[in-house]
Amino acid sequence: MSSSSASAMDWEAEYAAGVFEANTAALYRSSKSRKSRTSALALDSDNEDQDITMASASTSIRARTGPTAPILDLPQDDESPLSQLTRHWMNERHAPDILPAEEELLASLLDHIRRQSDAVQLLRGEPSASEEEHIRIMLVQMEVERVKFIVRSYVRTRLFKIEKFARFIMTDATIQTRITTAERVHASRHAHLTDHHFHNSVLQSLPETQSHLDDTPIFMPPMSSSFSSSWILTHLTVWLFFSFSFLLLFFLSLPVTKPDNSRAVFVHALRDCPPIRFQENLTLEMKRGHISLMPFSFIEQLLLRGDVELI
Amino acid sequence: MSADTRQFGDLATQLVMESRRSTQTDALLKYNDSLVRSLIREQRDLERAAEALEAGIDERQGPPPALLIIQTAISRNKRCLLAYHSHRVDHLRDLYWAVGGALPHILNNQDIRSKLSPHEVDYLRQYNSSVMEFRSEFSHELDITASITNPPKDLHVLVHVVKDCGVIQTELGSIDFQKGQRFMVRRADIEHLIVQGYLEEVS
Repeated sequence: MSSSSASAMDWEAEYAAGVFEANTAALYRSSKSRKSRTSALALDSDNEDQDITMASASTSIRARTGPTAPILDLPQDDESPLSQLTRHWMNERHAPDILPAEEELLASLLDHIRRQSDAVQLLRGEPSASEEEHIRIMLVQMEVERVKFIVRSYVRTRLFKIEKFARFIMTDATIQTRITTAERVHASRHAHLTDHHFHNSVLQSLPETQSHLDDTPIFMPPMSSSFSSSWILTHLTVWLFFSFSFLLLFFLSLPVTKPDNSRAVFVHALRDCPPIRFQENLTLEMKRGHISLMPFSFIEQLLLRGDVELI
Repeated sequence: MSADTRQFGDLATQLVMESRRSTQTDALLKYNDSLVRSLIREQRDLERAAEALEAGIDERQGPPPALLIIQTAISRNKRCLLAYHSHRVDHLRDLYWAVGGALPHILNNQDIRSKLSPHEVDYLRQYNSSVMEFRSEFSHELDITASITNPPKDLHVLVHVVKDCGVIQTELGSIDFQKGQRFMVRRADIEHLIVQGYLEEVS
């Protein structure tokens, strides 16, 4: 796959040359670069697989390069920053835990967005731009909007998880290494805010012994001789009632919510993976292109190494 | 415990059921102040009962069963109270993001405002400033509070003005949106107005 951002950058430079020099060679170059631009757009819409406006461009590319493999079989070695981000975005959306932040990738894309937007601003003000060039400017703007959408969704997905696990993040050092400074600051603010809210609306009105957020373990009766079976029987209805209501509570979030790494995820192997051991005699070796459903904890390491992606 | 046939934890169950109804109907219910207050009163009564029992503990026999029941009731009630508040706060945050982080839009809505407790209004204000601070990290490139439900398909969008929203700055200059008019505008400029219900997309 050709790198879409690289070709877009070429385009940016060449396009600027095309406008400001306005000679035939530049025009020729810009029309050549437009082709690479179109292919970059088409590749992006392959990733998205949702786009309609780019569909025609995408089919024409397919016709030229022969039938391309379905979406799941993308070559991974020379990924463009955008398709990398798309992959991380999908992983982040499917993983129950917070994945390591892609700070460098995000920063380079954000820089790129800013440069593109500035260039577009500059070119829009250019009175000599022709009809065709306006269309090209529009394409770039569209592309920028689409990249922004993915960045936004990626950041927001992380933010949602960080708020959900804010109290846990503050007590756990390993998870803190996976988030950016800004995210950590937000987590700390959020944990504090939630505590404050609980304190104001509930805890401060409770008696002193109950007014702490730290979870006291819920009492379970020890099944020892000090409790006669008749005692259990007489209180059976009460216990049944309580156990029922704990079940009811189960679906509500608790003051300290932890990521549930046993949640099942769909995994797609990007290359041949070392065998995964589930139990004593149950292992799975995923070949490239293999798709499987399994608990997140088993493939966490493979995901971090980039051997698999979540779908 | 009292004259009527109320069990321990009845009130708390009511409270949790309310959260559950709110999830099922995806609606924000009015903050049930009276139920929360009576639960807190129950907690105080239980605490007193527990203290009385603790005072009479016989070293040889261990704690009386009644104490265990009371303590379980206390921790369950407390957990229900917290779950109720946490559920509401989650819902409020969803609401906040659904309007693209436009806090005044929520707080000026009388219908929503009447359902909030004063603490929740405070919470929203502080949450808003916390999010704004986080947003400023990205302010040069993009607005992270904009909608993420549908990927953009068009640069421009035809909108129908549903409510007057005054003069809005767009990149093509300022536009005075008045009820009933239609405009072809850049989506990124007015996305937040669609989300907040001032404009409607014409498809």
